[in-house]
Amino acid sequence: MKLLMIDDDTGLCELLSEYLCAQGYKIECKHDGEQGLKAALNGDYALILLDVMLPKLDGFDVLKRLRQTKLTPVIMLTAKGEDFDRIFGLELGADDYIPKPFNHRELLARVKAITRRIEHITSLSNNQTNKLNVNNIIINLAAREAYVDECKLSLTGTEYEVLALLVKSAGQVVSKEQISEEVLGRRLAAFDRSIDMHVSNIRKKIAEYNSTERIKTMRGAGYVFIQGE
Amino acid sequence: MSLSKENKAARFAWIRHPKDFLFFKIFIWFWLTVVGTITSLVFLSNLATNQVSNEKLQGPVLKNLQYTAKSIERIALKHNRTATDILQNPRLAKRKLLYLSSEQSENSLTSRPPANNVDLSLINFTKTMAPQAIFTENFMAFGPIKTTLPEGIFYLYEIDENNHPPFFIRLKLMPTWLKIAVAFVASLALSFVFSRNLIAPITHLKQAANKLSQGDLTARANINAGRQDELGILGRDFNSMATQIEQLIAAQKRLLADISHELRSPLTRLKMATGLAQMQAEDQNQTYLLRIEKEANQLDKMIADVLQVSRLEAKSQPLSLHEQSMQVIITHVLNDAQFEAKQSNKTLHVEGQLDIDIQCDESLLASALENILRNAIKYAVHSIFIKLSLTDTINIEINDDGPGVEPHNLARLCEPFFRQSDARDRTSGGTGLGLAIAKNAITAHAGHLTLHNQAQGGLSVRIVLPINKQL
Repeated sequence: MKLLMIDDDTGLCELLSEYLCAQGYKIECKHDGEQGLKAALNGDYALILLDVMLPKLDGFDVLKRLRQTKLTPVIMLTAKGEDFDRIFGLELGADDYIPKPFNHRELLARVKAITRRIEHITSLSNNQTNKLNVNNIIINLAAREAYVDECKLSLTGTEYEVLALLVKSAGQVVSKEQISEEVLGRRLAAFDRSIDMHVSNIRKKIAEYNSTERIKTMRGAGYVFIQGE
Repeated sequence: MSLSKENKAARFAWIRHPKDFLFFKIFIWFWLTVVGTITSLVFLSNLATNQVSNEKLQGPVLKNLQYTAKSIERIALKHNRTATDILQNPRLAKRKLLYLSSEQSENSLTSRPPANNVDLSLINFTKTMAPQAIFTENFMAFGPIKTTLPEGIFYLYEIDENNHPPFFIRLKLMPTWLKIAVAFVASLALSFVFSRNLIAPITHLKQAANKLSQGDLTARANINAGRQDELGILGRDFNSMATQIEQLIAAQKRLLADISHELRSPLTRLKMATGLAQMQAEDQNQTYLLRIEKEANQLDKMIADVLQVSRLEAKSQPLSLHEQSMQVIITHVLNDAQFEAKQSNKTLHVEGQLDIDIQCDESLLASALENILRNAIKYAVHSIFIKLSLTDTINIEINDDGPGVEPHNLARLCEPFFRQSDARDRTSGGTGLGLAIAKNAITAHAGHLTLHNQAQGGLSVRIVLPINKQL
């Protein structure tokens, strides 16, 4: 499985490549935003690790341009405590973030959570097509695609996973903790707004085609996908 | 809304507590001085008379009058006419009112009846018999000139009924109460303007200093650049001082933020390298590697704390506000604290609840409470008491039964890296930034954090947060 790392800290890139290679991943490193974006657009990566502070083109710009055409999963490497960075990254369509300096085990866990999904999906697509259809939302589990009124939604990997999870358990409240553990592969930290950001992105994307409210917030409990009639 | 009300209250505070305001002091002393001076002058000038004023008669008016008197004498002698006849001669009477005053007032004569408001008896108040100009409120009289007529001795006056006395004389003739009232009002207005003008730069300075002390480093005193007096100089000096402070603090904060940021890159590499080493190391070396990892984490925590304090102090971190229940935040923090306390064999006693939703940066508030609780657990001997109450504010009190803090250190406890004991006990593992973060976080939510020693010993931290739906 091939990963792309965009970070100007060459020392860290070397260490991380070595570490992730030992875990069975292939890593390619780019040290500035422009080169990174080029590689991300042309290559076929399972995951991109993207630093925020980059020469030439910063992480947010790379993410913005990448998302115009590609939905490759992205984990942002943010500075710890920079709340704004985190939320802004998720808003732009990052799948997850990890604050620097990170723990190698934590990083590996996040990478695994996201790549595991992809493996899971590829195994699914070999089976017969598997579709969910609730309240005019169609989830194609094999192709990892979601449709509203026959229109394809351009969701990031994480957004798709969150929506699929909600649709699968339509009519039931799904807690944020559950979403975090199943989708991001990690426990939800206290007062973490990541899941809210992803849900808000999904709502916006659905609303582009159909303004019926489908995902309801249950305060303090989580989210519920409305089944409709 | 409440802000503008406060402003209004501040603007009119000097009416309620005049003694506390320099403006009022200066104003009142000026005013009293001016009023006192004028009043005493008025009284002195009024000791003589109050309805009549006179000046020595000179020049053509005197000559003219003397000539008239001589003509009357001549006509009386030559033509043997009575004084009444002479006076009523149209040639004389047409011109002006002449008045022949006799020592017996019933014998006095006028060339024609005087106007109603002319009270000729006022003339008799003058004591000297030298020719003079006499001013009263309604007329002017010139005389007397001694005139000897067959009927006896008369004194001739020429009365000018229409001419009002000159301005200064009129002022002099004003009633005393009016003079004092005018002085009162005029000096009031003048003193007000004067003292205001004097105080204005001080007020500007006060406002600027106040804002500056509250952390608004861009605050400057609004001093007129043309003002060259001591206050003008003081104002400009203050402004240049403020600029200096602003630059210094900005530089310091930038340095702090830069350092923290630059420290993180090698720290990330260090952690990564440790991770690699852990994968390959033999068991006996694992403990050292774990130790390295632990220390790296501690360093990381300190950097994060320094960054947070510097950000909070610089107010450069916008709060990410959400409506959140206080109880949720407290419960979350208390759960962690309970666990920590249990590990060090101490107990947490919680009293009260905070069932209210407020707009807040929940993670910041939680970290504030966490830091205070961690501190309390660290210093407590057996137990920590947490009192939660809801009045028109949110009140949180966290008390421990530890040794408390030396009174002179209380205020410094919230300074970054301040440690009470010089021994700097590292065993407790704090970064020395916990209370600084807590204080700044509470202040950012428009609340107050105060520290006290309890009577029975132990530190008490009190937090008061406003119930503010839109912060």
